[in-house]
Amino acid sequence: MDGHVNIDRDDKVVAVEDSVNKGVKKKRRSQNQEDASGGQPPTQSIQPGAQNDGGVALDTNAAFSNDHVQENGPQGVVRRHQRGGGGAEQEPAGSAPPARRGTTQETRQSRHPPGEWEEVEEEEEELKYGAQHVIKLFIPVSLCMLVVVATVSSVTFYTEKGTYLLYTPFHEESQSIGDKVYDALRNALILLGVVVALTIVLIILYKKRCYKIIHGWLLMSSLLLLFIFTIIYMMELLRGYNLGMDWITVSICVWNFGVMGMVSIHWHGPLRLQQAYLIFIASLMSLMFIKYLPEYTLWMVLAVISIWDLVAVLSPKGPLRILVETAQERNEPIFPALIYSYTRMTQMLLEMEQWRAKLVHREKEIPQGGGMQKMDMWLEMEMLRLIPFHKNNARICLVNYYQLNIQPLKLDEITKIDAMEKDKILPERGVKLGLGDFIFYSVLVGKASSYGDWNTTIACFIAILIGLCLTLIMLAIFKKALPALPISITFGLIFYFSTSLLVVPFTEQLASEQVYI
Amino acid sequence: MCLAKLPNERKLTLCRKYYMAGFAFLPFMWAINAIWFLNEAFWAPPYPEQKQIRRYVIVSGVGALLWLVGLISWVVVFQQNRSVWGATADYMSFIIPKGVP
Repeated sequence: MDGHVNIDRDDKVVAVEDSVNKGVKKKRRSQNQEDASGGQPPTQSIQPGAQNDGGVALDTNAAFSNDHVQENGPQGVVRRHQRGGGGAEQEPAGSAPPARRGTTQETRQSRHPPGEWEEVEEEEEELKYGAQHVIKLFIPVSLCMLVVVATVSSVTFYTEKGTYLLYTPFHEESQSIGDKVYDALRNALILLGVVVALTIVLIILYKKRCYKIIHGWLLMSSLLLLFIFTIIYMMELLRGYNLGMDWITVSICVWNFGVMGMVSIHWHGPLRLQQAYLIFIASLMSLMFIKYLPEYTLWMVLAVISIWDLVAVLSPKGPLRILVETAQERNEPIFPALIYSYTRMTQMLLEMEQWRAKLVHREKEIPQGGGMQKMDMWLEMEMLRLIPFHKNNARICLVNYYQLNIQPLKLDEITKIDAMEKDKILPERGVKLGLGDFIFYSVLVGKASSYGDWNTTIACFIAILIGLCLTLIMLAIFKKALPALPISITFGLIFYFSTSLLVVPFTEQLASEQVYI
Repeated sequence: MCLAKLPNERKLTLCRKYYMAGFAFLPFMWAINAIWFLNEAFWAPPYPEQKQIRRYVIVSGVGALLWLVGLISWVVVFQQNRSVWGATADYMSFIIPKGVP
């Protein structure tokens, strides 16, 4: 996905340089530095050597060195042009922007690595920001697990067996492990079938533009979670701690809690509150899984779902990928309430809509043909095409927002937009994690903790965080939406079974034999 | 959502909507409103809508506090008198705590 953006940037650079307006790009560059690195030493100082060995002054002011390089040396332009791939250069410079855009979109899929110099720049940026992303995702994931583990280990309701989900008709009542595994496999496949079917229904609805139904669906599910499941949770919590409570207090609390949750998730609310609600919803959901899935089925489901995640996000006809691509085509966001982000994207989208309306309005005003105005218009349109592109990302997958640093540049190019509008749209870069990932991570850790063994729990916790780290590293390398479940869940399962079957018996044996290593 | 990036009139409408919604037995919404707009109402550089926002914030905060006090006192009263009230209290109970054996 990031490749697309790089390409856009390349094309744009070409277009800009072909046009009369060069100050535009200068701004773009300097804005890039300010915005992306925020006062850190400019990584671009490496680039002039890499991108243009035409011996342009390297001692110019770092913020502007690139511009001089690019403006003075046409060589550099050509080379980047070539690296960027075929699409854009086939057209004569300065031709009508819509046509260029068409070719860009066509060639998007094929061209990935745009150029060494950009890669150097971006990799360095990613290394700088990687740690922040990791930390910012670790905290919510850990919080979600903490809620689940605390609940599982303090309230017996969630570990009692007896009632199971409708989707798991085989209850693993047989004694032999083989039968249990067979039951678990069948259950997991049924559950997977349900998940696949629902995903396909979602995609069909999305393809048919039945947004009302989808939003209704999401509203209903969050309503269910925020009210009914909260009441159940509260009841079990109170029962677990043996506290008396009257209906009046409970109803007031649940009413307040639920309504505020709906408002902050689906409408406007403080970002922290929204994040808290999403974490809570995810933990409620995973508690439900822990409670209502039979033991072996749960482990099997984790494995099966992570494989499904892999397929759905990465395979060319994977449903989540289709979802992402459709959303991109339509320049639309993917629904809130499905993704945890540490920056507010949904809000930005609303602003974006208004802004786009304004632009459309403006397009009517401006007569076609004026060079500068046309350029600006094109840049604006290009930007509009790009911005939603970043928002629309898959549901149960990690989404890369590194490319967002391109937007401020584009915004800055457009001189007509006043500062207020710019501020509204200036995005913060970030990584998004689907709520499904939260749920299944917590399911794994919660289930591990339900056996009451802290060694295993902590091993699973660490394994999942390591997996998340690796996924983020992969994200920096591959620069496209990746499934977040497979690595983490594989690690988690390996750590769980190895710890509970090998390490713990071993240490217990050692302890009982009084052997100290 | 970042309040600082919103235009002033939208801040005001948002604050007003939260304030109005709070009347539907939603003191939590008032509390959120008061906390969220606290900075806007008192420490942000002045702008025309600020006065109204400040009023909404103050009323919401006071309302939320009153609700909190009311709710806590009700819970205390109920917990104190649960055994005295007998069947009525049992009828009102969401959870009746078990006695310790």
